[in-house]
Amino acid sequence: METVLQPDLVRLLKDEHMLAESCDEDRSTGDTREPRRSDDEEEKSPFNFSPQLIHLHKDHELFEDGDVHRHMYLQDLYVSGEADDKPTLSVSEFACHISGCSAVFSSLEEYEHHYNSLHRHVCCSCRRSLPSARLLDIHLQEWHDSLFTILAQRQDMYQCLVEGCGQKFSTSKHRKDHLIRIHKYPPDFRFDKTKKDRGSRQMKRQQQKDTAMEVVDDESEGACDVLSDQPERGESMETHACEEEAARMAKSASAEERADLSAAAARSTENTSTDPLKPRYSYRIPSTVCFGHGSIRGFRGRRGRRK
Amino acid sequence: MWRLNKVRHKSGRQGDSLEELKLKRREHEKALRRARRDRQLVSKRLLLNDDEEQPDPTMDTHPGEQDVVSLFLKLQPSGPGREAHLKALSKVLRDPSAQLTFIKQENSMHLLVGLLTGSDATCRLQAARCLHELSHSPHANVSPACLPATPYLLTYLSGQSTKFTELCLYTLGNLCPDSDIVKEKLLAQGIVPALANCLENQRHNLAVVEAVGFTLSQFLQAKDAAEKILLAVLASSLPSSLLSVLTPDPKFGLAPAIECAWCLHYLTCGMKDNRVLLAHGALLQCSSLLVSLGGAVAEGNKEEGLELFICPLLRCVGNLLSSCPVADLSTHVGDARLVVALCALLQVYLQTQPALARQSAWVLNNLTAHSSAFCSALLTLNLVPGLIKLLPFSQGINTMILRILANIAHKKKEFCAQLAHRGLLSALCATLKMADQEMVTLSMEVLYMLVVSGPQVAEEFVRQGGLSLLEAVQYNSEGEIRGRATHLLEEHLLSYSSYCSDNNPRS
Repeated sequence: METVLQPDLVRLLKDEHMLAESCDEDRSTGDTREPRRSDDEEEKSPFNFSPQLIHLHKDHELFEDGDVHRHMYLQDLYVSGEADDKPTLSVSEFACHISGCSAVFSSLEEYEHHYNSLHRHVCCSCRRSLPSARLLDIHLQEWHDSLFTILAQRQDMYQCLVEGCGQKFSTSKHRKDHLIRIHKYPPDFRFDKTKKDRGSRQMKRQQQKDTAMEVVDDESEGACDVLSDQPERGESMETHACEEEAARMAKSASAEERADLSAAAARSTENTSTDPLKPRYSYRIPSTVCFGHGSIRGFRGRRGRRK
Repeated sequence: MWRLNKVRHKSGRQGDSLEELKLKRREHEKALRRARRDRQLVSKRLLLNDDEEQPDPTMDTHPGEQDVVSLFLKLQPSGPGREAHLKALSKVLRDPSAQLTFIKQENSMHLLVGLLTGSDATCRLQAARCLHELSHSPHANVSPACLPATPYLLTYLSGQSTKFTELCLYTLGNLCPDSDIVKEKLLAQGIVPALANCLENQRHNLAVVEAVGFTLSQFLQAKDAAEKILLAVLASSLPSSLLSVLTPDPKFGLAPAIECAWCLHYLTCGMKDNRVLLAHGALLQCSSLLVSLGGAVAEGNKEEGLELFICPLLRCVGNLLSSCPVADLSTHVGDARLVVALCALLQVYLQTQPALARQSAWVLNNLTAHSSAFCSALLTLNLVPGLIKLLPFSQGINTMILRILANIAHKKKEFCAQLAHRGLLSALCATLKMADQEMVTLSMEVLYMLVVSGPQVAEEFVRQGGLSLLEAVQYNSEGEIRGRATHLLEEHLLSYSSYCSDNNPRS
């Protein structure tokens, strides 16, 4: 924040004949302002700003500092200039809008990074957060597209996750091997979970259902992974198709889950989150929320695959 | 001139280092702040003798009860030594415990009042000095003991001896805030006409003007300033006299003007309807003073104590504006440079005195609330970008600035276009993400006004990525905010969705 004053201001203040005429504008128009919008619009609009004249009484908090200085002066304690510590000017913080996400940031960049990383590419069905549009695409295909499952029986459908590689595989295991061998990925790459793993995690979730606080325990799925077991408190109880589907999947996979449970548990103890944010809280997206890729909300219609 | 440049500390000792002084001052400030929050902020002033440089609060040897008592005894028989004894007594009474001892003596006040009103002029002066020391006492039950003297102190205000008058004034000023009963009594005893006459007659003696201002401000700064006190003052000649001495004298300094400005502040904030003061030309005078002060400050004038004068002036203008009908605004604020001055004050004081910056913003809000002329001035003088730059700053600054911008947008659609053109849209994209709920709500109001003003603005907003921003807002925990975001998207930005980058149907 520059402390040097715009030279224009000084110049303007010296000009005594400035804008004497414009003040007459108020005299003639008075309160007759140009009608801002048609009556129809006014009725429906939830917006209702109108300029306010604010009268402050003697003890208003806006006057506190000035009063204190005045009395410092009366009591011979006043010192002009910067003899004392400069008062700290505070800057507004930014906060994530998503209901339940209490993240707060001191800069816009942090806010954008948070939003783009955690809220932008979220799967409508299972609420998983993916770090990019492409990975979300792939996730949607492989997890929630029944057509994919059918096609995969006849052709190689599992894409390599590395952009530009272009190779496809018949099973996710083959892809995983490829990722490890060719692209040197770690065997526990977080964005390459199989549906089986999800099921086992859900099992765990159901066990935790009764806990009051929903803890974000499984860091391995990337941040803020929320399950649809419990609907948002206070939200209307629309039974979302996703919830039912998720519950079904959990039950059907229970047999295999137990075997994977220990593996999943081992994975979930990893906590090498690269999240740069301050303390993370659990959050829930209302069950009616569905955004990011595949969003059918509003006017944008179904969005196609990004190239 | 109340010596501003001398830093004097009530509890300071000779050997205190700079750090210790700083620490003490900070302690005092904390105590004052606490008192302010309890609405118990009260101060007294001590007028020093001409031969004193600095008050000496810590005398190494306590004068002891004996001195006070013995002096008191010596004063009782009338005789040639009385003046000397009185003078000695006045010095001794600087000490708080001596003050207590004195008032406990039987008939001590009676004696003092007798000397105050006696035929010996020197004794009168010394008696007044004794009373002054007592009025300044930190002990709660000492100054009330001085009440029997007040009718005489008031009478002496119309006298010609200016030094004596000053002493009486400061003594009265110290007694004023003690209790409401005291104020009632003083009102009944005619303090208002006494002060009015004194100010009128002694207008050219700035030391007396300062003293009157101080006393009146103490009188008006009642905890619950009774309306009758305010009305009594407004009905007198005090308002016009105060206004006539409001312009500071360059040689004497700011002090008298400061006191008078604070009196006006207490008057304007106490009354909801300030027609009387407006009729006296208070707004005209205060606003033109602000313009010249704004110019001085903008040029880098660092005169000591300028903020102490600007502060009450800002408050007067702010509250007077809230009583001024917009049609009369041009008469009362003839000079459109007021907006420039306020913007200058905002900028200059933002870092050093954020409270003053906040007050300036508040005044700008009142100025622009119903006046197209002043809104237009902000635009044509290119002051809007400077305001937008202040939107990151919290604690009451950015919300007030946003109100000002909303006031401008509310007037005309052309103003909206101009605001958008000067960068308000991108600023809103940031303020919509702030943690402060009030900022978010206000931002949406402004955004709404801009968006409905014309298609270009709506298009520009979409181009700047506003759609995804509003989509995120649709998941805010507050239902009202969600609803407003939805309304904006569906009712007003729907048609601009073709600007979305990807809208390909699924293959």
